[in-house]
Parts: sequence; structure tokens; C-alpha cells
Amino acid sequence: MDCYTANWNPLGDSAFYRKYELYSMDWDLKEELRDCLVAAAPYGGPIALLRNPWRKEKPASARPVLEIYSASGVPLASLLWKSGPVVSLGWSAEEELLCVQEDGVVLVYGLHGDFRRHFSMGNEVLQNRVLDARIFHTEFGSGVAILTGAHRFTLSANVGDLKLRRMPEVPGLQSAPSCWTTVCQDRVAHILLAVGPDLYLLDHAACSAVTPPGLAPGVSSFLQMAVSFTYRHLALFTDTGYIWMGTASLKKESQKADEYLREIQELGQLPQAVQQCIEAAGHEHWPDMQKSLLRAASFGKCFLDRFPPDSFVRMCQDLRVLNAVRDYHIGIPLTYSQYKQLTIQVLLDRLVLRRLYPLAIQICEYLRLPEVQGVSRILAHWACYKVQQKDVSDEDVARAINQKLGDTPGVSYSDIAARAYGCGRTELAIKLLEYEPRSGEQVPLLLKMKRSKLALSKAIESGDTDLVFTVLLHLKNELNRGDFFMTLRNQPMALSLYRQFCKHQELETLKDLYNQDDNHQELGSFHIRASYAAEERIEGRVAALQTAADAFYKAKNEFAAKATEDQMRLLRLQRRLEDELGGRFLDLSLHDTVTTLILSGQNKRAEQLARDFRIPDKRLWWLKLTALADLEDWEELEKFSKSKKSPIGYLPFVEICMKQHNKYEAKKYASRVGPEQKVKALLLVGDVAQAADVAIEHRNEAEMSLVLSHCTGATDGATADKIQRARAQAQKK
Amino acid sequence: MAAHLSYGRVNLNVLREAVRRELREFLDKCAGSKAIVWDEYLTGPFGLIAQYSLLKEHEVEKMFTLKGSRLPAADVKNIIFFVRPRLELMDIIAENVLSEDRRGPARDFHILFVPRRSLLCEQRLKDLGVLGSFIHREEYSLDLIPFDGDLLSMESESAFKECYLESDQTSLYHAAKGLMTLQALYGTIPQIFGKGECARQVANMMIRMKREFTGSQNSIFPVFDNLLLLDRNVDLLSPLATQLTYEGLIDEIYGIQNSYVKLPPEKFAPKKQGDGGKDLPTEAKKLQLNSAEELYAEIRDKNFNAVGSVLSKKAKVISAAFEERHNAKTVGEIKQFVSQLPHMQAARGSLANHTSIAELIKDVTTSEDFFDKLTVEQEFMSGIDTDKVNSYIEDCIAQKHPLIKVLRLVCLQSVCNSGLKQKVLDYYKREILQTYGYEHILTLHNLEKAGLLKPQTGGRNNYPTIRKTLRLWMDDVNEQNPTDISYVYSGYAPLSVRLAQLLSRPGWRSIEEVLRILPGPHFEERQPLPTGLQKKRQPGENRVTLIFFLGGVTFAEIAALRFLSQLEDGGTEYVIATTKLINGASWIESLMEKPF
Repeated sequence: MDCYTANWNPLGDSAFYRKYELYSMDWDLKEELRDCLVAAAPYGGPIALLRNPWRKEKPASARPVLEIYSASGVPLASLLWKSGPVVSLGWSAEEELLCVQEDGVVLVYGLHGDFRRHFSMGNEVLQNRVLDARIFHTEFGSGVAILTGAHRFTLSANVGDLKLRRMPEVPGLQSAPSCWTTVCQDRVAHILLAVGPDLYLLDHAACSAVTPPGLAPGVSSFLQMAVSFTYRHLALFTDTGYIWMGTASLKKESQKADEYLREIQELGQLPQAVQQCIEAAGHEHWPDMQKSLLRAASFGKCFLDRFPPDSFVRMCQDLRVLNAVRDYHIGIPLTYSQYKQLTIQVLLDRLVLRRLYPLAIQICEYLRLPEVQGVSRILAHWACYKVQQKDVSDEDVARAINQKLGDTPGVSYSDIAARAYGCGRTELAIKLLEYEPRSGEQVPLLLKMKRSKLALSKAIESGDTDLVFTVLLHLKNELNRGDFFMTLRNQPMALSLYRQFCKHQELETLKDLYNQDDNHQELGSFHIRASYAAEERIEGRVAALQTAADAFYKAKNEFAAKATEDQMRLLRLQRRLEDELGGRFLDLSLHDTVTTLILSGQNKRAEQLARDFRIPDKRLWWLKLTALADLEDWEELEKFSKSKKSPIGYLPFVEICMKQHNKYEAKKYASRVGPEQKVKALLLVGDVAQAADVAIEHRNEAEMSLVLSHCTGATDGATADKIQRARAQAQKK
Repeated sequence: MAAHLSYGRVNLNVLREAVRRELREFLDKCAGSKAIVWDEYLTGPFGLIAQYSLLKEHEVEKMFTLKGSRLPAADVKNIIFFVRPRLELMDIIAENVLSEDRRGPARDFHILFVPRRSLLCEQRLKDLGVLGSFIHREEYSLDLIPFDGDLLSMESESAFKECYLESDQTSLYHAAKGLMTLQALYGTIPQIFGKGECARQVANMMIRMKREFTGSQNSIFPVFDNLLLLDRNVDLLSPLATQLTYEGLIDEIYGIQNSYVKLPPEKFAPKKQGDGGKDLPTEAKKLQLNSAEELYAEIRDKNFNAVGSVLSKKAKVISAAFEERHNAKTVGEIKQFVSQLPHMQAARGSLANHTSIAELIKDVTTSEDFFDKLTVEQEFMSGIDTDKVNSYIEDCIAQKHPLIKVLRLVCLQSVCNSGLKQKVLDYYKREILQTYGYEHILTLHNLEKAGLLKPQTGGRNNYPTIRKTLRLWMDDVNEQNPTDISYVYSGYAPLSVRLAQLLSRPGWRSIEEVLRILPGPHFEERQPLPTGLQKKRQPGENRVTLIFFLGGVTFAEIAALRFLSQLEDGGTEYVIATTKLINGASWIESLMEKPF
């Protein structure tokens, strides 16, 4: 077992370190590394090299070459540097290469040497030039710190959201510091610099001197300084040849799995030992070592009853992923701790960035990641890359993408289409949108691409009326009226929605729409509404109704046309009545107009009106009956009742008199009620005894029970007996 | 607080809690004190989700009704508009915002759209120059509101009119969204059945939306076995007939709004000796009606003729319970008695209320006119004299009975005759216009467009075929101990519920012919489930069907479905969802148009 720790070197009293070769680099360097600007990205990221012609005297004609390699030295990109002199290179957390030029301009490149954008570190930097620069990482992103020729510092803590901060002056600083670095404390970036034997910490407000505790005396200058990735530890290298390290302690790895298993078990430390074997395997780089540690853990597990298996299983999975990406072809030598901190999502992003789609998908499938977070996302990235391949036809790209993606859940075809549109491939974008199931996503992009009619049919398909309205209003502004109407005509659902909109917002347009469709029935209704809403004068109202009637004729709605003409006649008549008789007649119904006339004693006019408008006899009788009773004109009522045989019988007369509490009048009519309703009438006027006689005479069981239910008074006892006897007799038979 | 929602097969409290959580989260986004400005229509439905106390806990200090001009003064940090996405409301909001007093302390504005944000409305706010004034513009997807343990409603007043008159599918889209929310909470519904044009559209939208959501795989074990989507226009008849269940009659006579009913106060005067009955209350008595009330749960779905006997039995039980106090001799017995008092008193209060309501209803149902009307309805539904002018309707018009009552009867006759003969139809229409006024021609047009009133085409009356095949008319109805759903209308079995019943057993294949006569397509869709979520039914375990009425449902239909749920060998339990709880009157009224 000793062999495992053979290459461990002590570092101070309680820590060890070891060094091993990750890769024998695959590159074929033409330059000495020391002649180059070099930037290696953290977390096993890529390496950038730029031969530095500005430091050494070299023929100015030869332009330098910027080269990008994977961590294993596989070339990723190579391009001629055509911009200005570069002072420093560095990688952002998103694996973008930041090249800081002497004039303070920072150029940003992708992993594959594709130019992304540029930004400037400000005027002060431009004037005084860049002396030195550092790219650093914070929890917000990646930052740039500049030391200018005027020995002042300028920094931006996040290049994604550029805010420049000029740091305060360092008192008495006449020349460049011997070394400096950026430090992040409490979410704020500071600069630590060494001037002779002194150390200063610069924050945005002040410059303060700091002293490292326990530093060996006699230091007159610091040659180098380094901070750990977490900013928790600091190392200083002094001119006296010492390295000072603040609280630097490396994690000690456990190597306790051995044949003294039983002893450990007796001590009750077996679970701990197994766990440590598993963890130790994670921190080993070489698969053989990982395997033997895992085997040891697996062996130890057998002696334990209840050791939860998930940590073992998870470690095996993690190591498979790690070993895959560490492979020399991929060249991402992540440590286990880095991997855990990076998360699988970011690792997948990095694979996507390197266009290693198949490996990314294999990992997703192996880890059984949900499709939305895993396979779908990667396929979508692949598709976005695919649409940029301009040498392939729209047809082929669209088909290829759909073949791969199909209905994979969570794939946003509209995002891919937007990318295609961004590359100027509108036709491809439209083809891709066909595969997008979410109309809410299709429609805005189609509108942006000026495919409004297509947007309209997509919106309609979705059933989302709000979306349809949005497209409609868009179309209305975009098309001339004629074209707009034609478009609506082909889309009935949109047309009805637009009609509703117009009903509330644009009445005139509504009329035009009905006209276009020859919808005379609705036009008729439209003009009826107008006759009430828009018109005050009687002539105007009648004219509107005339238009309505004409429309109804065209619609072959004879009934509505006639009814409308009747209404026009009635309106004119009502106006005349108001003029002649005073009072209010307009907008009364025909029925109420006749009633009002009777109530105001205009019986002749009432008769005339009823005849002119052919009010059916039965209703006219009801009308008169009600009106006369309201007037309590009993004499007239009686005359009316005798004018001819009542078409509604005489029971209504009895009822209405009783309603007016006139029993005397009611009794007059009760006698005239036909036999079928006689009992009811007699009961209404309170003549229980006679009602009983009639019921018995009719031999009608229902009538007899009805009378019986009215026998409540003390005087009705005899009547009740009489009915009971009649009933008994009927039952005998 | 809403325990009655969890009594049923499906715990609808889960839904209520989900929407309450969403509301709280929104309120907390607007930090500090707040005033809510309400779209008045929303207050009723919101009351079923959150009482004022919840709002108060989240620093809502004032509430106003949305109206024009300046907002009332309120010393709050936030003003939140709770509105439906309607253009006319946006205009009012803009007016409010623009007339805000700039000298006063600055207040933050927010909008909560119910149930959906609308680009159209936001464009309007933008055009009016106020869109930027709002910090939070969000949507509150309150589509289906739990009313009872087995009842959900969207309370979308104009859904029927929009769907069948204006071809506006907005409410169908909301219905589909609501169904997606339900599925997110209760699992994917494996089978969808439907009948009607709107049902087809909702199913299409659901399938589409499901495609949009794929990937966020729903891993909830499905609670519902089936979904049945039914267009209201497949069964125009049922809402037109007078409901004869207890709850149905309360709704017919007094109108139930968001589970509350307002009743004439006289019958509810406190009966205390010595008061001399001088101070009769003048304000309407407001009661909440749901199954949280034990007695109401027992009688709500009974035929009204069976309610009296239950009430008198209950009265005896309760007075016997109170008599127990004489038997309580020992301290322990007295203590026992006292501990039951609150429950007994609540039961007595509940009994008193329902006895009063039953008396009020009885006054109506024993009237001669009610009897006459019912006779005519039942004649129509059983197919008697549907093809000629009815003299009772004529008399109603002549005596100017309420127009809605007349329209309801005429429509009923038309539906029961597959349309009226042109001559008969024109006669009724003319009578109505002459008596009630020409302006109602617009209402008549609407009824014709909705198919409620129409001329018979092809001279063929299909109704008898439908009636016989679906057994819509039952002569031997038992109101006390019903054996068939027809008890809810004392003879007529609601067509919609019969369709549901036949679907569950023996299946619609047996009634293909009738289904073809009824409007719109009928269909079946399957939503595949991952094998792990497929249900293995225990022997004797009932299926759960969610039945969604697009365009409204009546309490009588609900009662009929509950009757089927309770049948021992029924095999299916129903949860009911609808765009709106309706009755014949409110339904016809939603189709009426008054130009002045």
C-alpha cells in the first residue's frame, strides 16, 4: 500500500502535495514558450498562446499568430493577429479569451477563435497605456484589472456588465510595483501590490498598508505573489528566498483501506474507512488507482450491514464522466472537486462549446438527466450551430435538424429559428418554426420576420384569442384596408373576433365588414341598434329602421322586415299621439300604447290602433280587461263583457275583480263562467256551498277535493259533510 | 376553512390551496402596504378563494371598486388593479393612473390580470401612455374555482354567448388552460370523451398544450380516469325546464350567486317572546349554501317534494336531543350534554333556516300559475302538442308575464319540436314584439342564432327519437326514493346527464344514431401514460369522471350526476366543471340584448 503515497511530498508540517503529468502535449510549438503570452483557463480549460513580438526585437512585418489549444494540446484555432499590441491574455469564466491591448481595448474571442466583441477600459487607460493587466474571476463573472503607465489601477469586476472603476492613488508610487494581484473580499475586488518591503491593499475608497503575520524578517522586496482560486490563501515569494503562505493547508487524502480490516471494524471505524476509500478514489487521477480504491471500498462494504449504496454508485458515475472528459482527445483535466463545483450542467455547456455534442449526449443519457436539462438542450445547441452552416441548403438543414430533434421534449424550435433568422436565413427560420409546438413562441418571431399572415394562421391554431388579436392589430397597421379585409375573409375565426372588437371599438368598421360579406341579417340588426343609439330625432330613427328593413328584405327575412316597418309606423304614430295628447308614448310597445290610450279614456283611438296593427282578439280582451279593472271602471267593464262572447271566457273577469277586492262585481261574472271553470270561480268569490253543489253535480273527484280544501270556516261544516257523503256514494258505485 | 372541498373522491382543496399560494406570492412581490382596486365582477369568485383576512395578512389595507376618474385617497405604498383583461377596463385604469395626484406621496401601480395577461390590453395601456407606470404586470390563472367538494366553475358569465353567438373561443381557451392546471395537480387524464363543436376545440387545445409542455413530464398518479367534455348546445333543453330539486328551486326563485343566496328577511325574523315582532329586519338575509352545512348537503339534491319529510324528521331528532337535558342528572352527564350544545345549536339554526326557505319555496310551488307552467313544460317534454300555438303561453304574453319566462317556454317548445312551424314561430315572435316592444327583435335574433328558437327545417321532428332512445321522459318517477335521474325534473331525465350515464355504461356505441342527430362531433382521445402511472383498479373501485359543461350547467343536472355517483352499482363518480353555473332565466338573460 505504500506505493500509493510514494510520490507525496511534504509541504510544511501537516500537508502533502504531489505532481504528475497529465498529458504529453500534442502540440507542435514553433516558438519558445517564454517568448509567448500564455493563458491557460482554469478548470481544465483551453490554453491560448500569442507569440509576443512587441517585447522582443523582431522583424515587424511578421504578424504574430494567436493559437488556441485544448489542455491536452489539441489545436482548436489558429489566426493571424491583425490588431494592436497585446499586453495580456486571459480566459473568462465562460471560456472566452480576453486579449488586453496596450491601448486599453479588450478583444473577446470564442474558443474556436471566433471574434465576439470588444470594449475599452476607458480614456484614462487609453492615454496612459496599459503597463500590465490581469484577468480575474469573481462570483459575478470575470473581471479585468489594468495597471497603467501612470501607475494607477483601473478595474471592472464583470466584463459582462462593464462598469469601470478607477482605484485610488498609491501614495508615493513612482515606478511599477514589483508584483501585484487582484483579491476578492466580501464580494468586492481589491488590488494587493508590493512596493519594496511594503504591501498595500487598494479598495475603491482607500489605500492601506498590510503586514503578513509571521513573515521572516529581512525582506526588502517581494518578487512574486499568488492568490488561491478561492481568494482564501495567499503566497508571497521574497527576495530572501522564502515563500510565505497564509493559512495554506491542503486536504489530506486517506489511504486506510488495508488488510487490517477486522481491527478497524472492531474499532467501529469501518463505515468511515469505506467512505474515505470512496472519496479518495474521486481524488485519484489514474483509473487504475481509482479502481483499486473502489474495490477496497466495495470489499469493506460487504462487512457492513447497512451502508447506503448511493455514495458508491454516484462516485462510480462521476468517475466515468471525469475519465471521459479527461481523455486526451477531449482534454478537460478536471479534478473531482472542480467537477463538483462546476456542476454537470456547466460541464455539459463546456462540451457544447467545444462542439462535442455526441459525448455530451452520451453523458446525459448515462446520468439519466431529465431531457429538458440534458439531451434536449444539447440538441438545441447543436441545431443552433447547424443553422450557421451556410453551405448547406435550407431544406437539408431543416430536415437534418428535425430528424435529430423530432419531438424531443423541451427543444425550442423557435430559439433555433431565431438563430437562423439572426444569420439572415429567413426561409430556414420559417421552416424550423413549423416544428415549434408553442404558438406563443412562433407568432412573435413570424411577426418580426414580417410573415404576418402565417403568424395569423398559427395564432388561430393555438386557440389563444389574445394572440390572434395581437396579430390582427399588427396586420391592420401593416396592410391596406382592402387586403386586411380579404385576409380576414379567409379566416372565419379571426373575422368573428375582429367583429367583436369592432362592436366595442369601431362600429363603422363593423358595418363595412358586414357589407363585405353581404351579411344582410346582421346589417339589419346593426341598423336597429343604430336607430336606438345614434339617433335622437324621430326622422333619423325611422330612416335607420328603413335601412334595417331593406337589409332584412335582402336577407329574405320577411318577418323582421315587416316587423320593422310596423315599428316605423308605430313610432310616427306615437310621435303624433304625444303631440296631440301630451304624455309619453315613444318607445312604448304597441300593447302598452293601446293600454295607455284606454287608461287616458281614448277608447276609440285604442280600438283603431288595435285594428290597424291586427292585435289578436284574445290578447285585446286581456288588455282591455286589465286596463278597465285598473281604472276601476266597472260599468265600462260590464259593457265590454257583454259586447260579444268573450274569447278568453269569464274566469279572468272574476279573477281580476277579486284582485281589485270587488266581490260584488266578481259575482256577476262568476255566474257566466263556463262549467269547466265554474267551481274555481265560485270558490274565488267565496261561495263554497254552491261550489260544492256544482262539484257534486259534476261527479268530479278533483273538484270535490278542491272544494273540501276550502272548507275552513265553521259554517262550512255542513258543506264538507255533504261532499264526504257524495264521495262515499260514488265509491259504492 | 374550506374543509367541505376535501370531502369528495377528489380533494379539491389541493386546487384551492394552489391558487391561494399563487395569490400570496403575487401580493408579496409588491412589498409594503397595499390597496386593491377591484374589477367588481371578480369579487364574488375571489371570495371563494380568499377571505379578506388573507389579503390583510399580506398588508392589503384598502379595497376599492374600479371606476373612472381619480382613485380615492389611501395612504398605501402600492395600488394593485385586479381585473379581467378587457379593453374597456384598461381605459378606466388609464384614467385612474393619469389623474393620480402628483403632489401626494408616490404610489406604485401594479396589474393582476385574471385569468390571463393580454397583449391586446397591454397594447391599449401603451397607447394610452400608462404602460410604463406599472411595476408588476402579471396574470393570475384562476380558471376553475372550487365551489364544492365535486364542483368547479369558471364563473365566466358570457361564455355561452361568446361561444355560440359570437364564435369567440376565449373562454374555451381558458377552459383548456384550467384543465391543464387540473392535470398538473391531479395527473394526466388518460381518456377524453367529448360531444360538440366546442368540446372538440377544447380537446384539440389540450392536446396541443400537452405537446407544448412535453418534457416537464407529469409524474403524478392520475386521479381522474376520464374527462367528458359536453357542449351546452348538445342539450339546450335541460336548462329551459324548471328545476325541481331543492337547490335548483332556490336558484330558480332567488338566484344563487357564488354560492350565496339573498332571501326576503321576513321569514327569518328572530322568534323571541316579548319582541312583539316589531322590528322586522329589512335587509335581505344572506346565506352561504354548500355541503359544509350537514343538513343542506343532505337535502340540496332531493326533489323538493321529498324535502319536507326530511325536515320534520330532523326537527324531531333535534328536539329529542334537547330533551336529553332532563335526563342529565350527574355532573358528568350535564357536562357531556353541554359539550354537544354548540353542534346541536348549529343544527337547530340550520334547520330553522331551511324550514323558512322551504316555506318560501312552497308558497311559489303551490301557486296555480306554477302548476300551470309546469304542466305545459311537462307536456312539451313528453311530446304533447308541441307543434301548435300553446294557449298558456299566449295568456302569459297577454298578461305580460315576465318576458324571460315567456321566452323560456317558447324556446322549450321549439327545442322539443326540433324547431317550430314557421307560422307558429312568427305568431309567437309577433306577439312578443307587440307586447314587450319591438327592441326585443335583437334578443329574438340571438335566440335564433343560438338555435334555441328556430323554424323546423325539413319538416322533421327528431325530438321523439331522441326522447325514446335516451329515455328522457319517465312516467313512473319516484320523487321520494328515486331510482332514476328523472326525479330532478319530476319526469324529465336531463339529456346531458343521460349521455354521461350511457357513456359509462354501456358506452356510446349503443346510441350512435342519436349522437349523429345531436349537433357537433363526438370523439374519444387517449393521453398515453408512462407504465408506472397506469392505474390498476381494485375490484369494486369506482371510476372518477370529470365532466365539463361548456356553456353552463344547472343545479338540477348537478343533482342528477350526484345521484349517479351515489348509486351503489353505478361504477362512476363524477366531478363537475363548468364555464358557469346557470339556470334557465340567467341563461336566457345572458342572450338578451337591450339597445336602450
